[in-house]
Amino acid sequence: MSGIIKSEPFVINIGPQHPSTHGVFRIKATVDGEKVIDAEMVMGYLHRSMEKLAEERTYTQNIPFTDRTDYLSSMSNNLGYCLAVEKLAGIEVPPRGNAIRVIMAELQRLASHCMAVGAFANDTGAWQTPVMWAFREREKILDIFEVTSGARLTCNYMRIGGVAFDLRPEFEPMVRRVLREFPPFIDEMEGLLSGNEIFIARTRGVGVLSPEMAINSSLSGPMLRGSGIAWDIRKADPYCGYEQYDFDIPIGYNGDSYDRFIVRLEEMRQSLKIIQQALDGLPGGPFRTEVPLALRPPKGEAYARIESPRGELGYYLVSDESPAPYRFHIRPPSFINLSALKEMTVGGTVADAIVVLGSIDIVVGEIDR
Amino acid sequence: MTRELTGSEAAALAEALVPGSVARTSETACYLKPEMLVETLRALRDDPAANLVHLTNLCGVDYWDHFEVVYHIQSFEKNHLACFKVEAWGREKPEVPSVTPVYHGAWMQECEAYDLFGIRFTGHPNLYRILLWEGYPGWPLRKDFLAMPGGLQPGLGEFAGVARRQEPPVKVVE
Amino acid sequence: MTPFLVSDKWYDIRDLGNLSRAILEAADRILPFGVVYVLAAVLGFVASFLLFVLPSQLFVGVYGERRIIGRMQSRLGPNRVGPFGLLQPIADAIKLIQKEALTPTQADRAVMYVAPIIFVMPAVLLWAVIPFGENMVIADIPVSLLYFLAVSSLPVIATFMAGWSANNKYSLFGAMRIVSMAISYESPLVLALLGAVVVTGTISLSGMVAWADEFNIWMAFVQPLALVIYFICVSAELNRTPVDIAEAESEIVAGYLTEYSGMKWGLFYGMDIGYALAASGFAVTVFLGGWTFFGLEQWVPGWLIFIAKTHLFYFLFIWTRGTLPRLRADQLMAFAWKFLLPLGVFNLLIVSTERMLWAEQDYAKGLIYLFALINIVLSGALVYAWARFNGYRPERTPTRPRLVKQVGGYIPIEERP
Repeated sequence: MSGIIKSEPFVINIGPQHPSTHGVFRIKATVDGEKVIDAEMVMGYLHRSMEKLAEERTYTQNIPFTDRTDYLSSMSNNLGYCLAVEKLAGIEVPPRGNAIRVIMAELQRLASHCMAVGAFANDTGAWQTPVMWAFREREKILDIFEVTSGARLTCNYMRIGGVAFDLRPEFEPMVRRVLREFPPFIDEMEGLLSGNEIFIARTRGVGVLSPEMAINSSLSGPMLRGSGIAWDIRKADPYCGYEQYDFDIPIGYNGDSYDRFIVRLEEMRQSLKIIQQALDGLPGGPFRTEVPLALRPPKGEAYARIESPRGELGYYLVSDESPAPYRFHIRPPSFINLSALKEMTVGGTVADAIVVLGSIDIVVGEIDR
Repeated sequence: MTRELTGSEAAALAEALVPGSVARTSETACYLKPEMLVETLRALRDDPAANLVHLTNLCGVDYWDHFEVVYHIQSFEKNHLACFKVEAWGREKPEVPSVTPVYHGAWMQECEAYDLFGIRFTGHPNLYRILLWEGYPGWPLRKDFLAMPGGLQPGLGEFAGVARRQEPPVKVVE
Repeated sequence: MTPFLVSDKWYDIRDLGNLSRAILEAADRILPFGVVYVLAAVLGFVASFLLFVLPSQLFVGVYGERRIIGRMQSRLGPNRVGPFGLLQPIADAIKLIQKEALTPTQADRAVMYVAPIIFVMPAVLLWAVIPFGENMVIADIPVSLLYFLAVSSLPVIATFMAGWSANNKYSLFGAMRIVSMAISYESPLVLALLGAVVVTGTISLSGMVAWADEFNIWMAFVQPLALVIYFICVSAELNRTPVDIAEAESEIVAGYLTEYSGMKWGLFYGMDIGYALAASGFAVTVFLGGWTFFGLEQWVPGWLIFIAKTHLFYFLFIWTRGTLPRLRADQLMAFAWKFLLPLGVFNLLIVSTERMLWAEQDYAKGLIYLFALINIVLSGALVYAWARFNGYRPERTPTRPRLVKQVGGYIPIEERP
């Protein structure tokens, strides 16, 4: 039959306005029928030139910027930036500050993974039920953030040398409630999706990344772990005292979208474990080292990274002894995780491309900065 | 705990594999010669002792008289992080060889550095302005961005059709 | 067997067909010849619309679905307009009517206008053959099953027109998908219904209800596999969410509906519900005993039983919509051809054998229960065996990731037995 029916490839724009691109992101896919034969990413619709703006502001003034990069995990972004400045200026954080940071970062990971898992299920076509369940749980965490920092999404809570405010008395019962109510939710999610034949058919073997490819493409976070590579900055390069806590690194089998999904679900369990330990052993004392508002770190450079929900979030700062950073570079995990998008989507169908994009868990604010 | 290699340690690794590849070292970084960059990084990636497999971070920095491209490369099995740098002189057309053949993950970060600094990565398969649009005047992260030939001004006046404010270009202070 | 309804007096509201027949007979005496047929059609449509289609579509299809899915998704659903939000569908309709129905400049305007109209008509026509009660059939034709199948495959043309005319790539994707899906799913659907036809020996829907009443068993127990196949096929053909690949929201925006807005879109949306309700009514008639309920129809009006059953069946559509992810287009095709079609053939073979035995041995009526039991067991075994044959190995797919304590490099998968 081949050759009788004449067909030619055509270009289809997935995005910038599309229900499944998680923001204004665009894949220019060349398709032959339903099969993707070429995929090109177009981004920058949300570019705000943060790296340039940050060069004009003091180190403390830059903390709110980091909220706006990855708006689904602002705590982690604050933390990464503050760690970089602390490394640059040689500031020690008191133990209570570190423990609060760990709790906040892990709560943020829970909230962000809720969003990732729910949106991913939505991309596979589970019509909004998983995403609504995930949002229900995420609300509880956002309430905790609101109580503690006054904001739900862009928290601006971490400070250079510690955190902005001490914990309020309501904090602990609220976190205990999350610790109590989260495991049933994760089990529920697993029951709904992990064993679902349709879900497995849609995600298993879709967007397979070999471990070599995953490493060579500079991927990080659940993308890397999904391919079976045991790598977690929290273990490998502990910050904020992560070495005190006992937790496991979940790793996948084949590096497909399904593995990334189950890795995220398991990471939520591990996060709960860390929060439990940190909350039980929450030390007293000061929560912040006093640092001058117009901090002038010594001349030099520093690269500090954390394990953000999406992967390795690094901040590269260069100081010239002025109150503003000379160079402020973000290593955005969801931007670099897209490096292998073309390799994962080409050869699949349009529906697969959506699933792959959902499994990467991009946040466009972070891609475009 | 990840060991961050000092400049001399990284230089020793590089020198052992590709002699003559190191230009100089600083406290934190090892400066490689641009013409030997790709060769050195490939050797470092493939050597089991160095095992620098994961190009974690790539970014450009503008130091007025030259540009630096910074590579943070991570080893998973040895768990160390090395910082290499390459200098590109000249503001008109700074050029650095692309490491995309060695690290596939570099292609987007190199595109970004090209987009925001104007550093050309020779050998890159598809170097395009990834965040800004094609034809955007100037390179935004350069320190003299506002004094560039594009006649850009702070604010929103730089878009076509909007009258530009008649002000002298911003004076560059050294 | 006693007749279903003891009386056929006009005041016997257990079957409203008596009343309408009385009205028509009275009208026939006064009105000139022929007018009564028009009157009968109008009366039937108006009655079934007022009684069933409109309230079902608006308040069960729109409001109920949104409320139930809201409960499933741990939210409230519409609760603002009117008491308990009951007027929400009306508010929606008013909003849709007011809204501008945009047509893209490059679209084929005529086809784009006609498509929703063509889509609406079969949804209305389908109700003509579905018996609400013994005499409550608008057109009790002997080939009503055939009629239903023929008419219910018409909307595919309308959706294809909609997708083609909009001149949008996503719409085109949707149109192409729905055509391929309709072709794939029509054959297992018909095979599944053939099983029921073989058992009952009739292709009249009223005859099937009569059979269920006579043998005092639902076709769903005699032909469980056929019901499952029918349900899957009909959800695929109707674009209900687990298999709604033609308007897959997360993939191709809205498929063939991408460029539609206003009431043109509203017609598609409303009639989608209408088709699903009609399919539920059809399934209830063929598989679930129609308007009978093991003798309960002697006391409760049959049309109430029918409506309750239809809505309960429709709940299945809502349920699957609220919980299941969507299959990919090629997987859906493969499922139809590799799984449903062979199962349909097997099912037909089994039921034909049974029917042959039945005809030759002249068994007692009660033996149908034994056959039902055999069929239920056989169906389960058949589904499982065919799935295994096609490579279904759930025990080989780990649903939990591996856990490691130490970082460093790639950890190969250990060999599993």
